[in-house]
Amino acid sequence: MEKQTKKSWQQPQLEVLN
Amino acid sequence: MMSIMPLTLTDVVSSCKQNIVSDMGGEKVMLNVKSGNYYNLGQIGGRIWDCIHDPVSVGALVDRLTEEFDVDDSACAEQVFSFLEQLRGEGLLLVNEENKNAANV
Repeated sequence: MEKQTKKSWQQPQLEVLN
Repeated sequence: MMSIMPLTLTDVVSSCKQNIVSDMGGEKVMLNVKSGNYYNLGQIGGRIWDCIHDPVSVGALVDRLTEEFDVDDSACAEQVFSFLEQLRGEGLLLVNEENKNAANV
C-alpha cells in the first residue's frame, strides 16, 4: 500500500491577542 | 474547594461554542463572544479545534493527529495536553460532563 505523506507538525500554541 | 484534575487520554473534550472563528492566512483566529477576548490558534491549533467540534477522547484526538501529521505519539500527546490545558484555562474547552451539560442548554 502506498504510504501517505504526512503534514509537518509544529507545537500548537494558544496565543492570546478586548 | 474542588481542584481541577489534569487531563488524561480517556477524558472526553469538545470546543466551547460561544466563539466566532475565522481562517486568516492558514491560521485560525477566534473571538470569545462571552469574554471579548481574541485568540490566535495557529495552524495546528486550528486543526485541533476542528477535531474537537464534537466530543472526542483525548486519546482518539492524539491518534488522529499522529495519523495526519509527522509526529511521534509521545511528543504529540504531551503537546496536545499542553494546548488543551491552555484552552481549558481560557474557558474554551468542555471536559467530560460539561459536554452533556452544554448539549442540554
